[in-house]
Amino acid sequence: MNPCGATTGFFVLGRCGRAAVTVCRCGRQICAEHADQQGLCPECSGAQGYADPYRPGWARGFRRSYYQRSSYDYGDPNLYTGYDIYDRSGFDQGDDFAIGGDVDPDSGDGGWTDS
Amino acid sequence: MTGEAPETQASPAGPPEVRAAYFAFDRFPSTKGSAVHIGQMAAELFERFGGGLLGVLGGGNLPRYQWEPGSGIRIARFGERIPNLIDRAEAYSAWVAAHVAPHVETLRVCHVRDPWSALPVVTAPGRRYPVVYEVNGLPSVELGHTWPLAAPATLARIAELEDFCLERADVVVVPSGVIGTALRRRGVPGERIELVPNGADVPPERPRPDDAPESYLVYAGALQPWQGLDVLLRAFARLADLTGLRLVILSSVPERRARALRRLAERLGVEDRVVWRFTLPHAEVAAWLAGAAVSVAPLTGCARNVDQGCAPLKILESMAAGTPVVASGLPAVRELMADGVHGRLVAPDRPAELARAIRVLLEYPDAARAMGERGRRRVREEFAWAATRARMATIYRSITSNSGITR
Ligand SMILES: [Zn+2]
Ligand SMILES: [Zn+2]
Repeated sequence: MNPCGATTGFFVLGRCGRAAVTVCRCGRQICAEHADQQGLCPECSGAQGYADPYRPGWARGFRRSYYQRSSYDYGDPNLYTGYDIYDRSGFDQGDDFAIGGDVDPDSGDGGWTDS
Repeated sequence: MTGEAPETQASPAGPPEVRAAYFAFDRFPSTKGSAVHIGQMAAELFERFGGGLLGVLGGGNLPRYQWEPGSGIRIARFGERIPNLIDRAEAYSAWVAAHVAPHVETLRVCHVRDPWSALPVVTAPGRRYPVVYEVNGLPSVELGHTWPLAAPATLARIAELEDFCLERADVVVVPSGVIGTALRRRGVPGERIELVPNGADVPPERPRPDDAPESYLVYAGALQPWQGLDVLLRAFARLADLTGLRLVILSSVPERRARALRRLAERLGVEDRVVWRFTLPHAEVAAWLAGAAVSVAPLTGCARNVDQGCAPLKILESMAAGTPVVASGLPAVRELMADGVHGRLVAPDRPAELARAIRVLLEYPDAARAMGERGRRRVREEFAWAATRARMATIYRSITSNSGITR
């Protein structure tokens, strides 16, 4: 039996592990419960429902249009586009203990149990 | 229960429609106290609305999308590695906007936890849903403490963003009266502010950790400067005559964050008696808390703690574990525990005073044990997560029935 590779859980994550019935296009083995109608795993299926934020450059482009639209709608360009290079520079290095998570993938605070 | 009981929601062709969403610019799950809070609040929201969308930060090996068959809960995680915090926050806001847009018709409530989650949610084109903005802290205040290079003008802009979102939120939820007062001072009308205290659950009895020292003080939590760990290390140095005593620091953040504090411990000559543990699972933290002689919350008297307020989960969780607490007697802390009843309150930033209070508790173990017992009782009677969640349920019920948007 090939175990289903979908992630399960809320506070504590684990792997589904039920018997897989199909293979998603990403190569993951998927059980009947976790496969959508196209045979996609939850991760690939979820990504399909939204604008693709992981295309390289998406964040920057979307961000620009989003903030421009917001500034236009609310008539306050300074609020949304007002962070200049000096504003940003204070946040380049250092510690992001509390806000906005941690960009280091090795940080080990992922609450992961079984991998 | 009222109309929030799960109704039929799945169209036969697709996943269930999203009627509730919770967004937080924070990693979930994680070992930080904030993750416990996020999980409890989101779980209550999803229980009321038959599932929903949880939008949080990912990274590491957390999957970008997850959904549980049968629960109606889907989780989306923003996982882009963008080193600059402002860039990351803005990209995250845009990501939230993209995750709200497809559900704008069906959403009946959105719950957010920070201004970068709030902005796209309060400004979403076609918005008909009420917004609950939960303010546990204000980045415009906190970032000044953790990012020394942040310019005052930049923090002022972040404060403007907060005000913009606070104005447009239907309900502003705060975990302590102090934060509520701070927000009233900033112009948020009092009738929109709801106090929903943090919770803790009394953990099941667990054996003492195998590697636990015979007698130890414990600190549990993150290592930001406002936590006052430097004060605790200095106080601990004054207890050097108690040769068997150890200080256990259960850091909710990774080891590399501890460098400066470890250097300080070395300089103070206490490093051999400090036991570090990093990012332990919640249940193990509970066992360490329960085994400690005293739990210490040495919060500093800085603006972040005093003016903005805080609601340290570690105090409630120590009380839940039946361990007496020695904490800085800040107004927000007094909302959780009383001096001489559940432990001792001391002036912040005073290592000598902190050391003295700890020493007294160590010298009178029976009195200390009684304080721990009273703390446990107080958590059970007043601060159970069930009580926190029941308050949230009432808020969700009132805004979805008053707003005229219930379908
Ligand atoms: Zn599965
Ligand atoms: Zn897949």
